[in-house]
Amino acid sequence: MGGRLDVRAKRRVVTPNGRPAGAKRTPTVRRVRPAIVQATPRPRIEAVPRSEAATGSPPRARADIDLSVDLGRGLVLRNPILVASGTFGYGVEYGDVVDVDRLGAICCKGTTLKPRIGNPTPRVTETPGGMLNSIGLQNPGVDAVVEKYAATWTGWKVPVIVNVAGESVGDYVAVTRRLEGVPGIAGIELNISCPNVGRDGLQFAIDPDAAAEVTAAVRRVTDLPLLVKLSPNVADIRPIARAIADAGADALTAINTLSGIAVAPDRHRPLLGNIYGGLSGPAVKPVALRVVYEAAQTVRIPVVAIGGITELADVLDFLAVGAVAVQVGTAIFADPTLPIRLVDELAAECRRRGVTSHRDLVGTALPKRAAPPSAKGVEYRP
Amino acid sequence: MRLAAAELVDSREILPGQWLQAYHAPELADGSRAGQFVHVRTGDFSGLVLRRPFSLNTADLATGIVTIHFRVIGRGTEWFTRLRPGDAIDLLGPLGRPFEVDPRGRHVLLIAGGLGMAGVRMLADEAIRDGRQVTLLFGASSAREVYPSNLLPDEVEYVVATDDGSLGHHGFVTDLVPDYEGWADQAFACGPTGMLRALAKQAEGRRQRLGVAKLGRKRGAGRTAALGSPAARRKAYLQVSMEQNMGCAVGACLGCVVMSVTGTPQRVCREGPVFASEELAWEGAWT
Repeated sequence: MGGRLDVRAKRRVVTPNGRPAGAKRTPTVRRVRPAIVQATPRPRIEAVPRSEAATGSPPRARADIDLSVDLGRGLVLRNPILVASGTFGYGVEYGDVVDVDRLGAICCKGTTLKPRIGNPTPRVTETPGGMLNSIGLQNPGVDAVVEKYAATWTGWKVPVIVNVAGESVGDYVAVTRRLEGVPGIAGIELNISCPNVGRDGLQFAIDPDAAAEVTAAVRRVTDLPLLVKLSPNVADIRPIARAIADAGADALTAINTLSGIAVAPDRHRPLLGNIYGGLSGPAVKPVALRVVYEAAQTVRIPVVAIGGITELADVLDFLAVGAVAVQVGTAIFADPTLPIRLVDELAAECRRRGVTSHRDLVGTALPKRAAPPSAKGVEYRP
Repeated sequence: MRLAAAELVDSREILPGQWLQAYHAPELADGSRAGQFVHVRTGDFSGLVLRRPFSLNTADLATGIVTIHFRVIGRGTEWFTRLRPGDAIDLLGPLGRPFEVDPRGRHVLLIAGGLGMAGVRMLADEAIRDGRQVTLLFGASSAREVYPSNLLPDEVEYVVATDDGSLGHHGFVTDLVPDYEGWADQAFACGPTGMLRALAKQAEGRRQRLGVAKLGRKRGAGRTAALGSPAARRKAYLQVSMEQNMGCAVGACLGCVVMSVTGTPQRVCREGPVFASEELAWEGAWT
C-alpha cells in the first residue's frame, strides 16, 4: 500500500528527461484548490510506512486515521508534520537520531545560485521564549546541493522541498531551472524575505508586486510544486498572500522569522555579527497564528504554518486557524525527535476525537464571514 | 551521536560559580574521545528553547560516568545546579571531532584558560593512559579561580599562572608557553579566543626556530593532509578547541561557525570544536 503513495508523490519528479512530457514554459493554468483539502474519493494510503518490528518505534498512525495532505501538483505528504528550512540542514545531519522517512516532508536549508559564506559570528542567541539567528544563508550553492544530496534524497520516502533564495528574480529563476527535473526534489519553497537588489534592496516579501513578480517568474519555469514563504514583517499580509496565490503558487508557508536585535553583554554594540536577526520559537507563535488566520481567509490555496510549535496543542491551534500542515523549526534543536512524536500524537488525537482525518480539524476557528483584518488595529475599532 | 538518558550522580561547586557534575550515561562514556562535547537539554521550559553545549570533562568507561564542568552564566546553567542526584536529563552526543594526538608524540602540552580546563581535561586522562608525559599550563584571574589539583591525575605536571599573581606565575598563561615549546611534541589548548589567538601566533614558525623540519624521517612526512582532516590535525603542533554560540550542535543550523584560512566557514559543532591552529583565520571580522 505504501508503495502507491510514494509513486504518486514522486511520479513527476523522476521523469527521465528532466521535464514531464508536455510541460512547456508557458504560464500554467492553475486549478483553484480549496484552502481546506477535502478527502478525495479514491482510496487513500494510510501512514503506516514500515513494519514496527523494523524500527521498534512506539505506536504510530493506524490505518484508520488518514493524515495525508495534498499541497498541490501531486505533492501529497503522508502526514502534515514538516521540518522547517534552516533547522534540519539537508536532512542528513541528525543521522540516526531521527528517522527522516517518518516526517511529512523536509524543507532543506536555503539554497542560492552561488555559494554564500553567510554572516559574521555570533550568528545565534537565545532570547526569552525563542532564538535570534542571522546565518546569512550560508550554503554551498545550488549545484553543490544537487550534486551532494539529491542522490540521498532520491532514496528516501520523505519528499524533500528545496528552499530557494536569491537577490533578483533572475537568481530565483536560475536556481529553479537547476532544480527542475532533478530526481529526489519534490518541490520548491521560495524564501522571498531576501533583499531585491534591483529594487533598492527591499525584501520581495513586503511588496505585493515584487512578491507576485518572483512567484510568477518561477512558476513559468517549473512544474514542481511551488510553496512561497510569507514574511510577518509587513503591515498587512492579505494583499501579499493574494498576489502570491494569483501568481501561481501552489501553497503558502507562514511565517518566516520576525526581525529583531539583541544587545551584547557589554552594551556597546548589538550582539549578532549581522546586527539584525530573525526571531523564532514559541515567542512568535501568536504572530504566526494571526498571519495564518488572515492568510487562510484570503487565499484558496493550502497554507502551511510555522512558528513556535513545540507540542501537539500548537499543531491543533494552527490547524484550527486554517493551516493544512505545519512545519516544526526551532523546537527541533532542543528535541530532535519532536516532529516524529507529533505525527503519532496527532493520529492519536484524531482517534480520540472520533475523526478519520486531521483535515476535519482544519479551519474550525475560522469565522463564517471574513474577520476584520489586523491592519485596521487590534484594539480600537470605529 | 545518540540521544542518551543520563542520571545525575554527583554535583559539586568546585570553584565559585563553577560546577562539576557527574552523570551516569554508559552509552556516552563508551566511544567518547577527548575534545568532544554533549548538547544538554534544560528542564526549564519557561522560555529556554536551546540546549547547552558542554565539553566532556571526563568519561569513565568502567563506571559509565561522564562529567561536565561549567560556569553558571544564566538561567540555563543555573537550572543544572539545582538538579539532585537521581534526577534524569537527556544528553545528545558525543558530538564534534576529538583532539588527535600524534602516535609518535611523547610529550603533550595542555594549555587551559579558565573554563577552558573543561575542554582539555579529558585529554590528560587519554594521554596518560597512552603513556605520554603531560604538562598542563593553567591560567586564571586569581588564586581562588584555580582548578583544584586533586581533580587532576597524579601524573600531570600542573603549572599555574594568575593574572593578579596571587598564585604561580604573575601574568598570562601564554607567557609560560615558550619555555615548553621545545619540550612538547604537540600542544592542545582551550580557552578565551584572545588566548588561543596568542598561542596560534606563538606556534607560527616553531619548526624554523627549533630547527626541526619534522619528527624524524617517518611515513607520510612531507605529504600534506587535506585541510580539516583528522590527519591534518594529527600533524599539527597546536590544536585548539573553539567555542561559539550554538543552535543545533549537529551541523544543521550553521550558527556556530569559525572562519578557516580558505575562506570557508567551518562549523564548530561538526568540523570542530577541535581545529589545527593553522586551519583557522585568526585575524579578521570573524574572530
